[in-house]
Amino acid sequence: MSENFTKSMARNMFYGGAVFFFLLFVGLTFDTMRELPKRDHRENITPEVAQGKLLWEENDCIGCHTLLGEGAYFAPELGNVYTRFGKNKQAIMAFIKSRPVDGIEGRRSMPQFNFSDEQLNDIAEFLKWTSEINSAGWPPNIQG
Amino acid sequence: MNDAAIDDVSLKEKYPPGDLAIWVFIYAEFLAFGIFFLAYAFARSYNVELFNASQLHLDKRAGALNTLILITGSYFVVRAVAAIRVNQSRACVNWLLAAIFSGGLFLIVKIFEFHGEYVQGYSLSSNLFYTFYFSMTVFHFMHVILGMVILTAVMFKARRGGYSAEDHRGVETGASYWHMVDMVWIILFPLVYVIH
Amino acid sequence: MQYQSQAVAKPYFIAALAMFAGQIIFGLIMGLQYVIGDFLFPEIPFNVARMVHTNLLIVWLLFGFMGAAYYLVPEESETELFSPKLAMALFWIFLVAGVLTIVGYLAVPYATLAKITGNDILPTMGREFLEQPTITKIGIVIVALGFLFNILMTVLKGRKTVITSVLLIGLGGLAVFFLFSFYNPDNLVLDKYFWWWTVHLWVEGVWELILGSILAFVLIKVTGVDREVIEKWLYVIIAMTLITGIIGTGHHYFWIGTPEYWQVLGSIFSALEPIPFFMMAVFAFNMVNRRRREHPNKVATLWALGTAVMSFLGAGVWGFMHTLAPVNYYTHGTQLTAAHAHMAFYGAYVMIVLCMISYAMPMMRGRAANSAKAQVVEMWGFWLMTISIVLITLFLTGAGILQVYMQRMGDAPMSFMVVQDKITLFYWLREAAGVVFLIGLITYFASFFVGGDEAASA
Repeated sequence: MSENFTKSMARNMFYGGAVFFFLLFVGLTFDTMRELPKRDHRENITPEVAQGKLLWEENDCIGCHTLLGEGAYFAPELGNVYTRFGKNKQAIMAFIKSRPVDGIEGRRSMPQFNFSDEQLNDIAEFLKWTSEINSAGWPPNIQG
Repeated sequence: MNDAAIDDVSLKEKYPPGDLAIWVFIYAEFLAFGIFFLAYAFARSYNVELFNASQLHLDKRAGALNTLILITGSYFVVRAVAAIRVNQSRACVNWLLAAIFSGGLFLIVKIFEFHGEYVQGYSLSSNLFYTFYFSMTVFHFMHVILGMVILTAVMFKARRGGYSAEDHRGVETGASYWHMVDMVWIILFPLVYVIH
Repeated sequence: MQYQSQAVAKPYFIAALAMFAGQIIFGLIMGLQYVIGDFLFPEIPFNVARMVHTNLLIVWLLFGFMGAAYYLVPEESETELFSPKLAMALFWIFLVAGVLTIVGYLAVPYATLAKITGNDILPTMGREFLEQPTITKIGIVIVALGFLFNILMTVLKGRKTVITSVLLIGLGGLAVFFLFSFYNPDNLVLDKYFWWWTVHLWVEGVWELILGSILAFVLIKVTGVDREVIEKWLYVIIAMTLITGIIGTGHHYFWIGTPEYWQVLGSIFSALEPIPFFMMAVFAFNMVNRRRREHPNKVATLWALGTAVMSFLGAGVWGFMHTLAPVNYYTHGTQLTAAHAHMAFYGAYVMIVLCMISYAMPMMRGRAANSAKAQVVEMWGFWLMTISIVLITLFLTGAGILQVYMQRMGDAPMSFMVVQDKITLFYWLREAAGVVFLIGLITYFASFFVGGDEAASA
């Protein structure tokens, strides 16, 4: 780079650029926060949904599954599992409940978490609410 | 006569004018806006009707007015550079002030325009056209502010007598950046407001 | 070594390398679970192995960054460290907290760990990469603040250089953005939105500042190129990093319920994100070519060039590959993401820490460089690990492309588990490449114990 290009110029570019774009990002965040209620249907977050999210977290479900595409890639996407299971909460609950304690010979299997019926319902409610988030048409199809 | 000849030589030696850093920066800016324009054209080709219909709601008169204001501003910074080349610091400061003023005028017109759109309920998330419109114009808006900050810094230094006919790289640097901001608008205005 | 207190970096580096080994072992376990689904089930389910794998990575990189800072800052500031005692105390606190957390993951079910550590009071657990119990997170904050204080006081009493100020901004940002890990609302969309303020603004933001300053430091040392030139480059590179990377966060806001304008903004700015990595590669080669001295530590130079190239490939090229919204619509959350993550983390952060260790360790052991023999062994480690990560990335990319094709495209998409069965071959190949990585790692470790009569001549 030429002699013309002094270090202080480069420094100003760094500090100026960082501040400029961080402010822009904060501005966009404000706009996003304003828009989100239309897309996340937060009015439907019942105590069950909240409890379901806590259960989701305290059993580290994200360590195998993806949720809206984020997480681990070891087990199926669950953002749309409610739709994939035919909008049937019972089916989701039955699936989680029926996992064998010792796994399946040679295959991947979800652990048996010994959830109570109430807990199963909370999780299903959380997954149902999640499936209703406006995720811009993602995933491309029902398989997630 | 002699002066002009010397000027010519120094001009040739010092191309591009201003500091190289600002040119790196300007090219980076063109790249960023260029990608924006390309993405706009790409998105438009898939949604021609949506784009055409949304375009009709833009205030073309405000856009045209702002184009005039920016071009005038560019003229002012040209005069500022010309003034400092003949050692007229005072005139240089005045022309820079005029350019900064025109920048401010642009911002005011643009704020009125944004306000009108806001009142009508348009926002970044109204549709794809508005996503592009607001991203590009707000991004450009912030560049006008940055350009004004740069010109103001140059103006203060000029007022302290910091520049001369021999050394006025700072003025050229600020002018180059201002021209870039102007040029982006000159592409943006027809692309987003006019071309149907 | 010019200052006594630089020696506190040594335990940090040793702890980092030990955890690195743990990370690789758990990586191999996960890799095997991909093909033999019930391996170690139910004792170590996949999610636990993954948590150990990723958390060890984060913690050992943090150990590496801290060690690098403790080594580099006294030398740059031309003064002893403010408090070596504090540095050692924080080392033990961080090590004990880290080890206890990992033991907790392995010893009890995660839900039990959540209960024991009182996650209900302030729930922050169970989110990807931020699985640590809340109390561990608080510990991390305390350690980070103590560390920052120590570094800041050292910088303040000594010479101020661009390298130390960039490093401080990077480390300060690291601490600040980690605070978002304590924000965990019931609303999943908000949770995800601000989760990325920690995760993205770390790895595609402030960590790159740390990377840049460590790289600049090593390049000044091994090439002898004028500090002014290197610092100018450093500023330009990190300026481009933040200019592109901050709004580039938008590439995570395509499909999580956030407004759709992020598809435009995220695509455009993250398409520019390879630029700083490209500049870094150009910079590293340029400086080495313009070198004014032949430093006896050849292998440190190799690591420096390696990190510049591999971070450009992993973060720049493999990141760009799936960053545009229309592409990401199909590739989001597939093995392609895993492919990108492996090469990017190795190229950018693993290699820079190993580069610093490679440069600093011989100094701390009282020589300018290791013997030629030891350096050759270390180079073998470099090539085995690097080639292995390239292969892992390629195999996962293959798996990802097939997964996208079969699961996401066409009229009759197949279900996730069916597709996983069909791409088993790629997972076996990945596991084999992983074994090569382990061999490379063992070779690398062995290089520390290779003697040789004298240090390589200057």
